[in-house]
Amino acid sequence: MNGKKAIVTLMVLFVVSIVPAFGQRKDQCYECHATLGDKASELFKGDVHHQKGISCAGCHGGDPTAEDMEQAMAPATGFLGVPKGDAIIKVCARCHSDRETMEKFGSELPVTQASMLEGSVHGKASVTGGQRILHCATCHTSHGVVSVKNPKSPVHPRNVVGTCGQCHSNANLMRQYNPSLAVDQVEKYRTSRHGQLNARGDVNAAECASCHGSHEIRAASDVKSTVYATNLPLTCARCHSDAVKMRPYGIPTNQFQLFAESVHGKALLEKKDLGAPACNDCHGNHGAIPPGVESISKVCGTCHALNAELFSVSPHKKAFDAQKLPECETCHGNHKIVAATDELLGISAEATCSRCHSSGKNAVGFHVAQTMRGLIDSLENAERLAAMFVSEAEQKGMEVSEAKFKLRDARQARLQARTMVHSFHEGQFREVVEPGLKVASFVQREAERALEEYTFRRVGLGLATLIITLFAAALYLYIRRIEQSQSDRRK
Amino acid sequence: MNRVLRRTYDWLDERLQVSDLIEFMKKKSVPVHRHSVWYYFGGVSLFLFIIQVVTGILLLLYYKGSEELAFESIQFIISKVEFGWLIRSIHSWAANLFILSAFIHMFSVFFEKAYRKPRELTWVSGILLLFLGMGFGFSGYLLPWNELAFFATKVGTDIAGVIPIVGKPILIFLRGGEDVTGATLSRFFGFHVAVLPALFTVILGLHLLLVQRQGMSIPMSVEKLPPSERKTMPFFPNFFLRDLLLWLLVLNLLAVLAVFFPWELGAKADPFAPAPAGIKPEWYFMFMFQTLKYIPGQLWIFEGEVVGILLFACAGLAWTLVPFWDRTTARGQENRKLTYAGLFVVVYMIILTILGWLS
Repeated sequence: MNGKKAIVTLMVLFVVSIVPAFGQRKDQCYECHATLGDKASELFKGDVHHQKGISCAGCHGGDPTAEDMEQAMAPATGFLGVPKGDAIIKVCARCHSDRETMEKFGSELPVTQASMLEGSVHGKASVTGGQRILHCATCHTSHGVVSVKNPKSPVHPRNVVGTCGQCHSNANLMRQYNPSLAVDQVEKYRTSRHGQLNARGDVNAAECASCHGSHEIRAASDVKSTVYATNLPLTCARCHSDAVKMRPYGIPTNQFQLFAESVHGKALLEKKDLGAPACNDCHGNHGAIPPGVESISKVCGTCHALNAELFSVSPHKKAFDAQKLPECETCHGNHKIVAATDELLGISAEATCSRCHSSGKNAVGFHVAQTMRGLIDSLENAERLAAMFVSEAEQKGMEVSEAKFKLRDARQARLQARTMVHSFHEGQFREVVEPGLKVASFVQREAERALEEYTFRRVGLGLATLIITLFAAALYLYIRRIEQSQSDRRK
Repeated sequence: MNRVLRRTYDWLDERLQVSDLIEFMKKKSVPVHRHSVWYYFGGVSLFLFIIQVVTGILLLLYYKGSEELAFESIQFIISKVEFGWLIRSIHSWAANLFILSAFIHMFSVFFEKAYRKPRELTWVSGILLLFLGMGFGFSGYLLPWNELAFFATKVGTDIAGVIPIVGKPILIFLRGGEDVTGATLSRFFGFHVAVLPALFTVILGLHLLLVQRQGMSIPMSVEKLPPSERKTMPFFPNFFLRDLLLWLLVLNLLAVLAVFFPWELGAKADPFAPAPAGIKPEWYFMFMFQTLKYIPGQLWIFEGEVVGILLFACAGLAWTLVPFWDRTTARGQENRKLTYAGLFVVVYMIILTILGWLS
């Protein structure tokens, strides 16, 4: 070694010896492992932690300054070896759950990942029972960890679907945890609008984490889950109500607002009725896509089965298909479906029928609509009138429980009639309404009879009381008379 | 016409000696004094009992004493049967008025000390009739098989069940098992329409016979007067017609109550439903029910409820046997202490009943 070389070597050694104090300490572990050319050190080269100056010992423990391997990995140095399972979470959380440490490295990442993972569905015990289902490295890898914004990251929007799919598309693995959970989410996702955009490299298109979250993922049945039925509309709205985000796609951003005002939205969001549909019930979830014109009645028909069936054999089916009109949506709307009232039916200006039918145009339908509206109005009036009489009789203390029970048949007929509207067939409609009218009329007669009976009782009581009182008065006078005569006789 | 009547009367007289009865009635007299008004409550109680018998028989024509049909049959009676609502309502109201009238009759006899010799057995038979009347009320209350009756019977029989030694067998006997079920309804129906009426009729016959044999008691103050200063009125027709007049007025009252306040049926009993709030017994059991509520759960080494029930049993027995231990009255002296004790009992019963209804 000549003098010049010796001076350079000394300078290098000096620099290496003072670096640890500034975070750029000598990393003897990395140097040796890199020399060996192992995969871990190769990957660690591009790791964000390596770039931030964190040595192997940052996770594995040991003394990175010791040149002797045994000394570097001695138990006294806190050497951990290769952490496994939950130990990995602990190692990562040492820095990632500590705000000060993260700030020291210039990171603005949140420090709640570990606690959120613990509360998530993935934080539950695995089949072995000794550790959680997932740990940090399951998704982020271990030695090649890069920022989520880095396209090479397995949790980058373009890659995350594949990362989740590694487990969620594995039927054998998923069966161990939730046998009823489907494993075709990725497959469906690829058919969805979101999946198509994602495949084209659109990082704004929703992927798994957009809806389910990342560290805090909960089962869809968990009320805290972002995809729980009552939370889902707001989850979708995070993007779909964002005008800036939606601008490139040219779609409206008022769906949530409209849905919230709809009969479905009110039932789901206000009454917390889980039977009411959320966005995914009509659009699909992983395969989300707007239903096509021809399939709307099928989608609505998953719940409104009878209405859809009646419509499919009605004269409107053919007419709507010919004009490419969306079936249910044409009369009821889509996101803002309000409670269907009888106003929709008939020939008034507010009635939906009058949009296509008039006395001059499509006149048959015009007359049918007019008749149907007349019938259903008659039924409603008859039912209301009967209920009024029943209520009056009840308030007067008369026994009308049987009539009151029977009145439910009239209400049932009216509900059936509202469904039968979708046949758009006068004869079929009459078959439902007329028995209802008969029932309402019978109930009204019964209630009127009870009211007549009530009057009869009052009048009868009045007469009986009068007769008894007169008899009592006569008796009183008779007693006085005989007592008077007895008194006279004694005198 | 008169000849036909005369011949009918003669025919009956030859066989039944009706003339003797009429002669007896003619001679029978009722004392007249400032407390005479209390005499009428015995007659009113009898009248209400007769109404109960008549309306009860009419209800029997349609009532079905089974768990499945009892409620429905009452519903049928009050909605479909002609005047069924009136009969049922009168039966319920007359039952309550009967107990009220019997209580008034009993207290009037007590305060007049009319139980004194020679009327000890009349008093005892009267008290037994009152207890049987309450038994009628308790058993009849369950018969519509409605929610309120079901749980009130459960509570009532539970109370009977806490009596030491005999309580449990009594509870099983009353319920026809461990719980209030259709078996309880069947036997309550049996008690109500067969056992109690039979006992009641026999004791009532004895009570009336004793009254007829001994005549009306007169207050001790009147008894001291010389016979010439004592006033009387003939039983027939004077007292009989006055009784009839009061019965007519009671009938009027019953009709008004039955029409304006028809007895409600409520909801059908559901043994699996939780007990509704505010379960209360009939008003004439209320003072006992309320007292048991005030007694602490544990009294020294005894269970509070048991102590309460035993106290009521002892008080009832003492009350029944008062003619045999009230020596002061027996000596012809006024027993003021007993009068005050009786007043205390009346006030206590009224206050506890009101408190029970308000709670």
